[in-house]
Amino acid sequence: MVKAYIGIDVGSVSTNVVAIDENANVLFNIYIRTNGQSIDSVKKGIESLKQQLDHRKYTISGVGTTGSGRQIAGVMVGADVVKNEITAHAVATTYFVPEVRTIFEIGGQDSKIIFIKDGMVVDFAMNTVCAAGTGSFLDHQSERLGISIEQFGDYALASKNDVRIAGRCTVFAESDMIAKQQYGFSKPDIINGLCQALVRNYINNLARGKKLEPPFVFQGGVAANSGIKAAFEKEIGHEVIIPSYFNVMGAIGTAILAKEEIQKTGKKTNFRGFHALQTDFVPSSFICQGCSNNCEVIKVKMNGQTVAMWGDRCGMWQEKVSQVVI
Amino acid sequence: MKISFPYMGTVIIYKKVLELLGHDVLVAPRPSQKTLDLGVKHSPEFACFPFKTIMGTYIEACEMGADTLITSGGHGPCRAGFYGEIHKRVLKALGHKFDFIVFDSYARDKEKFIRNIKKIKGNNSWLKVIKAIRFTYQMLKEIDRFDKWIAKNRAYEQITGSVNQAWDEIQKMFDLAHTKKELKEAIINSEKLISAIPLKEVQERNKVRIGIVGEIYVVMEASINMEIEKILGELGCEVERSHYLSDWVDHNMLPSFLKRSHEEEILKKGEPFIEIEIGGHAKQTVGHIVDFKERGFDGIIHLMPFGCLPELISQSVIPKMSAQYEIPVFTLSLDEQTGQANNKTRIEAFIDLIKNKKLSNHQFSA
Repeated sequence: MVKAYIGIDVGSVSTNVVAIDENANVLFNIYIRTNGQSIDSVKKGIESLKQQLDHRKYTISGVGTTGSGRQIAGVMVGADVVKNEITAHAVATTYFVPEVRTIFEIGGQDSKIIFIKDGMVVDFAMNTVCAAGTGSFLDHQSERLGISIEQFGDYALASKNDVRIAGRCTVFAESDMIAKQQYGFSKPDIINGLCQALVRNYINNLARGKKLEPPFVFQGGVAANSGIKAAFEKEIGHEVIIPSYFNVMGAIGTAILAKEEIQKTGKKTNFRGFHALQTDFVPSSFICQGCSNNCEVIKVKMNGQTVAMWGDRCGMWQEKVSQVVI
Repeated sequence: MKISFPYMGTVIIYKKVLELLGHDVLVAPRPSQKTLDLGVKHSPEFACFPFKTIMGTYIEACEMGADTLITSGGHGPCRAGFYGEIHKRVLKALGHKFDFIVFDSYARDKEKFIRNIKKIKGNNSWLKVIKAIRFTYQMLKEIDRFDKWIAKNRAYEQITGSVNQAWDEIQKMFDLAHTKKELKEAIINSEKLISAIPLKEVQERNKVRIGIVGEIYVVMEASINMEIEKILGELGCEVERSHYLSDWVDHNMLPSFLKRSHEEEILKKGEPFIEIEIGGHAKQTVGHIVDFKERGFDGIIHLMPFGCLPELISQSVIPKMSAQYEIPVFTLSLDEQTGQANNKTRIEAFIDLIKNKKLSNHQFSA
């Protein structure tokens, strides 16, 4: 039997599941739109993994989760490692591009920049204020312009004129786009202008004047967009590498971390098994009336038994069930 | 007279000094969602987060029957200098009737300072006032000592929650002490309590020390900084803040000939980066970064209220300092937002960064 490790990245827009072997070769990967249903998407991802991975050949030896839904996914599958997405992304990128110095990661609801030196994270930044410059905004705009997000890049590359669009805030960007559209600019020009605005905003907001050193790696769902890649290359004046598994890098990273954890500790995995996902798995929430904070406490039940609780500021509920280790 | 005050840090101290002077003290509830909701609703939109929280606290206190509010003033060009006045106007507009006592720095307006002291003094003799202040000051020093111990050792507790529990009990014990003898007992019992907590043995080189710097209110009040000290403790870090109430009192309330030099020293350390007093705690922030580095800390978390002017300035000199002193600094801007997932992710990643750097226990390789 060959050991395989699962990595699950539950993001705002997509849920990604990968399986890697001992040498971090990707055996399986899937990118699913979360559509607000993280539990279902995790189930869906694991289900297709089960079907496609030869279970006579591979045995699951470790599981890691990451992304904003990492906690709930961790409880669901029985994760060995629950890791923040910045570390997870960095781990995966330094594996595929060991000499990388700067990682651009743009996802659905957030964007990050990670600075690497000698294979270690030395600095990072994450967008804080606004969703301008993330996948969701592009999604929204492509819908408004009546083109599919997959065509976005091709449109941008077909542009002939430079159109300046404000990128600092989605509200300004959108009104600028509408103004330009009313002047009669073509769709490709507007879309290209938007790509450039987004990149400009990304560099201003996240890099904040820090020195950007090559090699550059661009990943996250938005890396599928060739218009953004071109805008990045124009802005920084250097080639940008897009790794082959650009849209599931977080999941790969957490799978690698799970593998290392298991190898380091020699423990047996906590993975609940494929069949466990068929069990009844119900999250619910209630407003705790213990004090005036009125925290929304999330309670996760598995087969009628409470397996995890969080969301309370005082820790009163968390203490009542064994907590998932972050 | 029913006195109340903004909720910041170990509130039993303010309560104590007022109680010793025979006042009826009302401690407003610890800032909660309700406090923020009230504060945000009744504050100018552009005001900073501490202003809004304190606004909420005042409203809660007034609704609970407080008729006198005491606060410290701001100094320097920071907007906080106006806050007392704006708070007063908003509360008046809401129909609350109260007396508002703002303590500015002694050096700024000595007469007003004395006048304010006289209001608090009431019919007490000056001797009693001095005794009360001395007693509370002593207590403050002690409680800050325990506070520091707690933040340092939370990371090493063997039983989850035991350190937090001890801290709650220590505060209760100090709250009940009203005489020198009782204070002594509280100190002895607190010492006993903490020495009984089982702690993990961690090798010196494996310890991770984080300094928290920034604007005083968000640094000191755990309920509005996501209990950052607890979060860091859970991640295995020793923590020390740049602000403790006793330091603030030393620096702001004592006349200059009695001043201890600690805060002055810190300010001096920050001078190469921010030369002049720009209000708020910007100078302290940069000074403390240097100080923490010199004392061997591994990383700094810089807390600022969203849109805080002095801290925006310190934020922009931080990258330079971080490079020069080779210390990672992470700025976290706080506002009424309660969703903490994003902040927690970043704090976790920051601690990962420091641990990797320090312990090099993790090579990113397959």
